[in-house]
Amino acid sequence: MSDNRDDFIIAIRYALLKKGAKQKFSLFFLIILSVLIITLDKISLPLMTPIRATLNDVVYHVSVISSQPAKLKNYVSKKIKIHFNVLDENKKLKREMEFLKKQKFNNAYLSSENDILKDALNFSNIKNFEQNFSILAKVILDQQSPFLKSILINKGTKRGVTKGMTVFHKDYLMGIVTETNFLSSRVLLLTDLNSKLPVVIEGTDVNAILEGTGKKLKLHLSYLPENYEIEADKTIFTSGKGGFLPPGIPLATTYLNKKNKVLIKLLGDPDQALIVNVTNGQVNQ
Amino acid sequence: MFYFRFLKSIFYTSLPIIFLYFFSFYHFQIPEVGKINFFAFNFQMILIYFYVLKFPDNLGYGNIFLAGIINDTVLGIPLGTTSLSYLSLSLFTSYIRNATIRPVITSEWFMFIPALFFSNFVYLIIINNFSNISFFYLELLQNTFFTFLFFPIFHYIFSQYQRSISKE
Repeated sequence: MSDNRDDFIIAIRYALLKKGAKQKFSLFFLIILSVLIITLDKISLPLMTPIRATLNDVVYHVSVISSQPAKLKNYVSKKIKIHFNVLDENKKLKREMEFLKKQKFNNAYLSSENDILKDALNFSNIKNFEQNFSILAKVILDQQSPFLKSILINKGTKRGVTKGMTVFHKDYLMGIVTETNFLSSRVLLLTDLNSKLPVVIEGTDVNAILEGTGKKLKLHLSYLPENYEIEADKTIFTSGKGGFLPPGIPLATTYLNKKNKVLIKLLGDPDQALIVNVTNGQVNQ
Repeated sequence: MFYFRFLKSIFYTSLPIIFLYFFSFYHFQIPEVGKINFFAFNFQMILIYFYVLKFPDNLGYGNIFLAGIINDTVLGIPLGTTSLSYLSLSLFTSYIRNATIRPVITSEWFMFIPALFFSNFVYLIIINNFSNISFFYLELLQNTFFTFLFFPIFHYIFSQYQRSISKE
């Protein structure tokens, strides 16, 4: 028992008083110093106040400096966060810009479509004949065969479209409805080989049949009088013969090509047709 | 080259002291610790316990005392409180070192419990008797618990570090 106590005392004494090879102070001395400092601090001696103030200043300043790495870390992490936020924002803005671009194109498309529709409506008001049927239709398919020239429109018998109705693009006749379905119709263009319309040439009483050749710049007039020389810059109108179409609808014009040969071209451009006006083409009474 | 090696070895052996001073000067604030505040622990105590126990020559008592004084100044508690607390821990640790014949990590780890309680006991007595500061005992207990819990991790890190610098 006493041996144990002796061992304990020896160990404590050893711990308190023994200084290691590199220890400058013993634990005992430092503990006494600590107790002394605590006591002096508690008593608040006049001597302690400036010491404490100086110590505080020094320690606080060093503490501020030592907190700089943490502040730097916070600063860097904040910057990184901002950077990634900017990246995200950039991506978001890019997406938004793409969307707006698409919207812009869509708006431009709608605007042009609107203009076309307005023109088509305007056409209905200004043309010199009236009809008891007029409907706007959209070209859904354009046949690109060299000779077979026809288009498909998105209106059919459901909307009252019937065979033989005339189809206008802007102010010009561009074809005849040759086939009707419930929801769509086929329009035979004037440029088609099978298109044959009775016409009259401007400033003359010459009647002829305007035939398609598959080319909008090279139509053909048949059944012309013998030895008749067609002149350039003459407009060709519908003659109204047969009562199929009203007279006076401008169809084509004559022109001189590079070889000074008179050719016939359509006034309208069927290739550019997007919205067309389908009418029954009844003669104005 | 010789001077560089010399300075490097001084730096490596002084790193525990640097850490001790650094953590005395700089205390992590609650917003910085944020979500891991629950796991707050006393790094200085682990450092002191390990180095006084295993490598007493690398961490002088004078430095421990001074670090305690700095800690008191930063925290605004009576001067010498933390010093005395750290020195009590050192005393207890030094006693363990002298009394232990075969050091084993588990025994060192479990002996850290009375060492911590002895140190905190001193700390509490001084705070209660020499100041009007009140604090959460539960938080102190929680802090002590996690200090004890994380000791093996730091034991491993410090041991590896000391092994690596002794090789050089």
